[in-house]
Amino acid sequence: MKPNRISSSLRLAALCLATLAAPAAWSLDAGAAAPEINLPGVKEAVNLASLKGKVVYVDFWASWCGPCKQSFPFMNDLQAKYRAKGLVVLGINLDAKREDADKFLNEVPAQFKLAFDARGESAKRFDVRGMPSSYLIGRDGKVVAAHKGFKEVDRKDLESRIALALGGN
Amino acid sequence: MSPAIAMEHFLITPSRSSRAVCALIAAAALGGCAFAPPQPWEKGNLAKPQMSMGRDPLDQAFTQHIYGSKEAASGGYGVGGGGCGCN
Amino acid sequence: MAWAEVAVAATDAKPCRGDKAGAIIAAALALPGVTAHAESAPERGVVALKYLNYKDSQPGLDRIAVNAPSIYVLAPISPRWAVDGSLVSDSVSGATPRYHTAISGATPRMTDKRLAGNVQVTRYFERSNVAIGLASSNENDYNSKAGSLNASFSSDDNNTTWNVGLGYASDKIGSTNDATLHETKQTSELLLGVTQDWTANDLIQLNFTLNSGRGYFSDPYKSVDNRPRERDQAIALARWNHYFAGAGGALRSAYRFYRDTFGIKAHTLGAEWVQSVGRFTITPSLRLYTQNAAKFYFDPIYDPDVGAPYPPGYFTNPPQYSSADQRLAAFGAVTVGLQIGVNIGADWLVDLKAERYEQRTGWRVIGTGSPGLDPFQATWLQVGVEKRF
Repeated sequence: MKPNRISSSLRLAALCLATLAAPAAWSLDAGAAAPEINLPGVKEAVNLASLKGKVVYVDFWASWCGPCKQSFPFMNDLQAKYRAKGLVVLGINLDAKREDADKFLNEVPAQFKLAFDARGESAKRFDVRGMPSSYLIGRDGKVVAAHKGFKEVDRKDLESRIALALGGN
Repeated sequence: MSPAIAMEHFLITPSRSSRAVCALIAAAALGGCAFAPPQPWEKGNLAKPQMSMGRDPLDQAFTQHIYGSKEAASGGYGVGGGGCGCN
Repeated sequence: MAWAEVAVAATDAKPCRGDKAGAIIAAALALPGVTAHAESAPERGVVALKYLNYKDSQPGLDRIAVNAPSIYVLAPISPRWAVDGSLVSDSVSGATPRYHTAISGATPRMTDKRLAGNVQVTRYFERSNVAIGLASSNENDYNSKAGSLNASFSSDDNNTTWNVGLGYASDKIGSTNDATLHETKQTSELLLGVTQDWTANDLIQLNFTLNSGRGYFSDPYKSVDNRPRERDQAIALARWNHYFAGAGGALRSAYRFYRDTFGIKAHTLGAEWVQSVGRFTITPSLRLYTQNAAKFYFDPIYDPDVGAPYPPGYFTNPPQYSSADQRLAAFGAVTVGLQIGVNIGADWLVDLKAERYEQRTGWRVIGTGSPGLDPFQATWLQVGVEKRF
């Protein structure tokens, strides 16, 4: 028991220093193929591969995340505005308990596709670093851009990138 | 005693009290729970107001002042971090 | 000086801030505890009002009563800037012993008013923030001005946050009993701390504080009170919050070790259980405290010839420093408390907290308590209302 405690405290010290020293690199870079998503949705299963040909805006969210509340109206607007051009907004919920997600959705309705990943497997594959995190996936199934967090000032940037990915239809 | 020497004394002097302090801190930090920092999406419970380090500033101020006025020791508190990891 | 001290009542005949050299940063840092991530301003602003009613006593004498309304405002200006501040107005009245716990017909009664305020501006960066604060406290015989600088740095995964704080306070001290008293005191403070998400249900914080004070530390309203003109303090604080998902409650515990150049060592152990019950939050709390006596504190054994309040040999072999202030004696103390909060809608919070404090020399944990002092009791109530917007 004792050696474990000593080594775990050394690990903590090393980890603390490492996390501060590590550069903010993202292993899921633009141009990489988007990891697969195969999750239960509200009524039917959601599969990312089946959405090839569309531009998909994947957003990882949770009920306890403040900025997530602010991002929902934005995503509702996006979906309504660009649906005809082939945009699919997909919100992946990471709450451990489904009731928490449902309570949130009662107060902040989502007019876009939803999927539920209580174990966070898809978040791990997408290398999610903060909440919320969003990934823009092009029609070819490759990641175009990734964005961490959400603030009102981000709206313009995010929307222009989406418009670009949708092309000049 | 200069602050530097005070700090040194506190950390190095093998007095009963400083050894007890180190043991308590180690016990609190390692006692029972393995070190497993959460992924960003696992911070739901840490984000609850019950878990925040400095939630009620007026209460803290009143209380710290009362104790500081009635006892010899005072201070030591600071701002909390961690939390929900949003943004 | 320290906002924590300026914020509230002189909970003594004349504020003991003479002895209290600490907590500048504590005060400044205690304030914006709303959402404590390093990298962006809180999403919502807060306006909070809180009212304190405090009464203390010892057997045979009701001592100090305090009524203190206070207000706190936190205003996020943009995602990158936030301003917060507070104001408190204390009305203090009552009496305290001039030495040890001696009461007599001559124990003076007083009334006083204090106004204190502070403001802090925080700038948020990608993984860090910096805050500058100013505080001021004013009453008829004590004036304090303090400034602070705090910075927080978060790791990339946001699980580790480092905190650094610097504070400086400059006090002017007088006495309503002695118009010729014009003293000053300057204090500097440094805090280094780290907060770590230990698991998905554990939050740990470790803070180390160094405090250095020079100037007047004596209490001009106490007899035979002559303290050193310097006081250095070292404080270590460990805090642990653990969430029990099954119960829907959190256990918040803290241990603080304190030592200073007055020769005082103190241990503080506190715990509270924060239980959610629907829209209610019930929080019982317990705090245990123990300290030894200051090097220059003397027991209530008086000179056989001259009598109280002079210690034996006070005139024939004068001590360099002396104090009969019970707050510098060796004792233990216990606080029990209960807080009930109600969430009304999404934005309002009302809470009521009652605490009972008792200090006894017989309760000292390590070693023996100082003899000859009466127990000290205090009860305080806080009523608060808070709105988020």
